[in-house]
Amino acid sequence: MNQLLIISFFKTKASWIGLASIFFAGMLSLYFGGLFIEETQENERRAILLQKENIERNVQHHPKDIGLLLYYQKFGLVNQVSPLASLAIGQRDISPSIQRVNIRNLEEQKYNSRLANPVYQLIGNFDFSFVLVYFIPLVIIALCFNMISEEKEGGTWALALSQTNNTKGMIRAKLLLRYSSILVVLVLLLIIAKFYLSIPLNQKYAAFCLVSVAYVSFWFAVVWWVISFHLSSSKNALVLLTIWVFLNVIVPAAISGIVSLVYPIPETFGTVVKSREGYHNKWDKEKAPTIQKFIKHYPQLAQYKHPKGARFSWFWYFAMQQMGDDEASAQSRELQQKVKKRIRLSENTAMFFPSAHTQLVLNSLANAGLQNQLNFMQALEKFHERKRLYFYPKIFSQTASTTEKWDKHTLAKYEEQSEVNWLQLLWPLLLGIGICLGAARLNQRKFYHL
Amino acid sequence: MRSNHIKVFARQVLVTKLKTKSVVYLLLIFNLLIFVSLYTEFRVRTQDHHHVEQYSKEVRQRWENNPDKHPHRMAHYGYLVFRQKYPLGFFDPGIHHFLGNVVFLEAHQQNPINSSEASYSSGLLRFGYFSASMLLQVLVPLLIFFWGFNLVSQDRENGTLKIVFTQGADWRGVLWGKTLGLYLLAMLVFVPALIFSLLLVWFHEASLVNSQLMSRLGLLFVTYGLYFFLMAALAIYVSGRSKSSRGALITLLGIWLFFSLILPKLATTYGQAKYPAPSKIAFDIKVEEELLKLGDSHNPDDPHYQHLKDSVLAVHKVNSTDQLPFNYQGFVMKEGEKLSSKAYNKRYEKLLQIYQKQNNMLRLAGIINPMVAIKQVSMALAGSGYATYDDFRAQAEKYRYSLAQKMNDLQIKLISNVRGKRIQGKPDILDKSHWAQFPDFNYRFLSFSQILAQEYLSLLVLLGWMLGLGLLVHYSKSLKVI
Repeated sequence: MNQLLIISFFKTKASWIGLASIFFAGMLSLYFGGLFIEETQENERRAILLQKENIERNVQHHPKDIGLLLYYQKFGLVNQVSPLASLAIGQRDISPSIQRVNIRNLEEQKYNSRLANPVYQLIGNFDFSFVLVYFIPLVIIALCFNMISEEKEGGTWALALSQTNNTKGMIRAKLLLRYSSILVVLVLLLIIAKFYLSIPLNQKYAAFCLVSVAYVSFWFAVVWWVISFHLSSSKNALVLLTIWVFLNVIVPAAISGIVSLVYPIPETFGTVVKSREGYHNKWDKEKAPTIQKFIKHYPQLAQYKHPKGARFSWFWYFAMQQMGDDEASAQSRELQQKVKKRIRLSENTAMFFPSAHTQLVLNSLANAGLQNQLNFMQALEKFHERKRLYFYPKIFSQTASTTEKWDKHTLAKYEEQSEVNWLQLLWPLLLGIGICLGAARLNQRKFYHL
Repeated sequence: MRSNHIKVFARQVLVTKLKTKSVVYLLLIFNLLIFVSLYTEFRVRTQDHHHVEQYSKEVRQRWENNPDKHPHRMAHYGYLVFRQKYPLGFFDPGIHHFLGNVVFLEAHQQNPINSSEASYSSGLLRFGYFSASMLLQVLVPLLIFFWGFNLVSQDRENGTLKIVFTQGADWRGVLWGKTLGLYLLAMLVFVPALIFSLLLVWFHEASLVNSQLMSRLGLLFVTYGLYFFLMAALAIYVSGRSKSSRGALITLLGIWLFFSLILPKLATTYGQAKYPAPSKIAFDIKVEEELLKLGDSHNPDDPHYQHLKDSVLAVHKVNSTDQLPFNYQGFVMKEGEKLSSKAYNKRYEKLLQIYQKQNNMLRLAGIINPMVAIKQVSMALAGSGYATYDDFRAQAEKYRYSLAQKMNDLQIKLISNVRGKRIQGKPDILDKSHWAQFPDFNYRFLSFSQILAQEYLSLLVLLGWMLGLGLLVHYSKSLKVI
């Protein structure tokens, strides 16, 4: 009997079209993911070269005045891209993966955006997570919506029933057949991805694969539940598609809407105004208070002085720059708090909706979520602070630029380190599966009264 | 006779559908969703509008309240410009979320427009944003397909069609009639949305309502009206052509998926591969190369500026720049600003051309895809499209340039060549009254005709589709009755 089911499944053109379309869409997504990673790495190479050339030129132009050199010189920090980002690009195409900053005030630099076509950003990427979250459920629906109803409507149901005593078992076998064939394609894609995109076999990749499998399983559980009502083919299709639209269109869009309504971020405006004032108005003020505040911030620099009566010194200049950051710091912290709140609200709400949850989880496994952007921004702050503190004494004691070992100021890297929280990744999906299977059980009797 | 049939069929569709509970529920749910999205987006936009106004005012005040100082200090103090959104953004937020909202304008360099909503949003934003336009463009067609897929095929399946035809009806009557009925049903979603949008526009932003806005809104409504008719006709036509209701449903769902999801993504992904746009770092490198070619206005030995100096000295018949009747440093900076802006704009122009080509790829997809076409038209009219954004960027850059050059002019004219010597007032600094004389950034939105010029193609596409479908229905005698 099962053999017959297998033959009939693979003899149907639609089955092949469905499986092949997942495979091709998946391959296409891997290709584009690969391009994205390549571009990111290419940019990194460019940045390494640029920084080297830049330093050489600046040292040549300003061999003595290290203060002036550092007024111009930018140092880059790379937000190391994870190989998994080729599968889930996430927010990586929105925020920059490299930030280049000079040691002047950071607030004016750290929000610098990526150069990109906004229309294309709106349409979004064709990455593996898109294929998985959006596309595969549709194929599952297309392959399963008329599993029983088709036979009923085609008049072969009685014939099929006469071949077996276990109706439910037969339906289950039909579904499992579809389930396993889609899993085979999915696993095949993940294996190809591993080699094609050279993804290391580690915990994160394992989690990525497991979440993908759980997500596909969730959709089969949904299908199992819906067909347990024994509706007509058209009704099945309508119900399943409505569920898809609800989970994949309405819910995520609504969460985004709620987040921006509940946590608007006027702080983005506030910080730029504050940091600009903080620095620029010091030109018009007495120098002493600025310097006092600076020394209060960095007591270790108290030994340096502004030459009495001088119109200008780098000491005073960088103290002014520091005020730009210091006076905006309250607003800036507020902004980061808001971002944290946004992350928490999105994640907590998404937990109850498998599609949204899966997308967020895949992004975060690929270090491509909003949390990663926030971490990178904080890493940039630390990086900038280190550079500052390293150079301040040199500038203030007027060391010649040429004495610095510039070779060691190469492009720096930030790599996010995070643990996989298996329970948090999987329980929303497992719960979803459980609910659907449980609900299907309530309809169980129908399987015997056909 | 036929018009009578059309009326009968239309009424029949409307009446039977409205008797079905699920249809009424769906109507209610959609109306509610649209109300909620219009209202919340309106709230978000209003809030944003206040923030923009409040901070713009603050920036202006701070600019004017700057004390007496050297004009070049003011050129570095610069200006902050916040992106204003067109008042219709609440209807269709378009690409707003992906656009920067604030830009720092200063002498010597073009800063990026930063702090887009997307850069502070989770990955869920990529699923789309909850807005009236999303509901109307994507989900209402799906609703129309749900309601319409079996309107003809079912009649054929249960034999009613045969009877109808024996009573003198013909295909045109049936198809147009059912299309009209389905369309009227869709209007029960659209018309309330339309009225509610109008109310929001009228009651809350009275100062912003002008003929420009009303023309945009008018065309927006007409276009959506056309779009829904298109979708209804498509549903009915497919229903008429398909062998079974199930077949019709599958075809329509396939069309919907392909149009709304797959084709736009494929078009943009292909566009990206075919017309790769430079990354920020690649772009910065190119700009830097251009600037290096121009010479360095800060470097006294730079050949370009050496030459400039020699010729200026020769014209004024003096030996040193100190003897010039104007501030030479200001003069050099003015030249430098001119050259660097030109170089930057040249590079940026190239980038824009790439974006334009990429966007045209999407427009091209719009020719076979009315869902892309309506998206383009809707964004453009709601002032949340690409053209509006680029126009904002261009206006901000123009303002930056004029600010830098105005400050250079002040320096050339009013600051002495010799440090510490004075021309008027205190030495080396200017009276603060000069700052207020420099006008505020006055952003003007693109006009209705400019928008039309941008998106006429997409409008034509929608009309073309309507015409094509009309012809198909008109010459549809070959469809099967049984």
